[in-house]
Amino acid sequence: MTSAPLVPNLFAVCEVLVLAIVWVVDQILYALAGLIPPLTGLAQWFDPVARARLGMGPLGSELLIVVVTWLIAVTVIVIWATLVNLLTMMWVERKFYSRLQDRYGIMISIWSLPFWPFNRAHRPTHRGTGYLQNIADGVKLLQKENITPRNADSAMFHISPVLIASSTLMIFAALPWSSGFYVANLELGILFIFAAFSLAPLGILIAGWSANNKYTLVGGLRAAAMLMAYEIPMILSVIALVFFTGSLNPLTIVKQQERTLFSLGPLAIPAWYVFSPQILGFIVFSVSMMAEMERIPFDIPEAEAELVEGWTTEYSGMRFGLVFGFKWLRMIAGAALIAILYLGGWSGPVFVTLSVGGVPVPIVPEEAWFLLKIYLISIVFIWISWSVPRVRIDQILNIGWKKLIPYSLGAIIIAAAAIASGLWAVG
Amino acid sequence: MSAFEVIGSILVVINKRMVRAAFWLAMTLVTIGAIYLLFQSEFVFLIQIIVYAGAVPVLFVFGIMLTRRTIMDEPGPEGGP
Repeated sequence: MTSAPLVPNLFAVCEVLVLAIVWVVDQILYALAGLIPPLTGLAQWFDPVARARLGMGPLGSELLIVVVTWLIAVTVIVIWATLVNLLTMMWVERKFYSRLQDRYGIMISIWSLPFWPFNRAHRPTHRGTGYLQNIADGVKLLQKENITPRNADSAMFHISPVLIASSTLMIFAALPWSSGFYVANLELGILFIFAAFSLAPLGILIAGWSANNKYTLVGGLRAAAMLMAYEIPMILSVIALVFFTGSLNPLTIVKQQERTLFSLGPLAIPAWYVFSPQILGFIVFSVSMMAEMERIPFDIPEAEAELVEGWTTEYSGMRFGLVFGFKWLRMIAGAALIAILYLGGWSGPVFVTLSVGGVPVPIVPEEAWFLLKIYLISIVFIWISWSVPRVRIDQILNIGWKKLIPYSLGAIIIAAAAIASGLWAVG
Repeated sequence: MSAFEVIGSILVVINKRMVRAAFWLAMTLVTIGAIYLLFQSEFVFLIQIIVYAGAVPVLFVFGIMLTRRTIMDEPGPEGGP
């Protein structure tokens, strides 16, 4: 039994949205055309009925409408990734590690807003869930002054947050959230995501160098050395996976994992790649993904005990907010990649599918399974990072070059042997 | 794209600051990748981005940084740091 997506086709959904907005604008244009007659032609151009009468094509195939629809689709994905998932992930992390440290964590509630208009004399102001704390932090960072150090290389200092933020957002152009909720279905989607991931070390190195500060320089050098070292086992373990999938398209990879591998009594074990000879590659991939996210056992680029704040030391205001907050965005992308490649992506049981006006609406849509997997993986990462101490720089490079790379080469050999011996069929 | 590439490669050569030259080199390599994309060979484009935009400029910048005594040391008029 396969599940169904909540958004069957993002582009079609956005097109319906755009056409609805165009219809509202068109009514206003018709009303204005009563006063200003030359507007009638423009109003008729936007009116599907008038277009059919004049023998023009459908409105949805006009270049203007297509471009606007694409822009809306991209905006929907960006808002979904940052405003919804980034804030939620930061909140999950802050609450969860506070609980691990036996304290409550952030507890700002809606009653704590300074402009709350109603009576709050008897309201608990700091007993909430704290979800608003991240928004408050963002507003605070927006209000702060952007300081550029006097001896900094100003152009490079300002370019690198743009480079880091844009390359992180580029990941979400190719990252599908379900079998329908994506911007672009690329044949080489996984490779595109890795290309976008691999642009960040350059930005980090430039950020560390241009601030003209020894802490940022050391942090940037460490970050670049570490990210470069851990990208290799990550990509090598994906090569091992491609032996099994025969494809780099995330939708195809998830579709291959939707069947049942074998049944253990009432339990049906799905054919996720983690339950295949890929288990070694899965471990290598997860560890190196954790290093790519600069999470705590591997957070020597930041290392607040030795390097103040690492390569982000000299940034202030929203620039700091961007380079700091986008780490969580990279964490979401990394967890989504692990889920897609090894944990079955959005496949999961769907219990009841309702039919609303002929359109199937699942009770538990694919997006819900995917988000559940992303957040579970992220919680495991957060759990690990707040339970273990930081590793030294030489130990990190030893783990990367002397342990993970041989293991990932071993994963390639295992995968090749499994395919060659017919233990596992491609696709 | 070719215009960007030519401008970028000229800037690599004439730039006084070595790290900036490495950055322009990264831009030149990305535009070469974009030319691959115009030929509709996406695979070569993505590999170009991974290898030449992600790794090679970082190695260059590493080399530049590790051979300087202070952070923004520039070679004097006689050359040499």
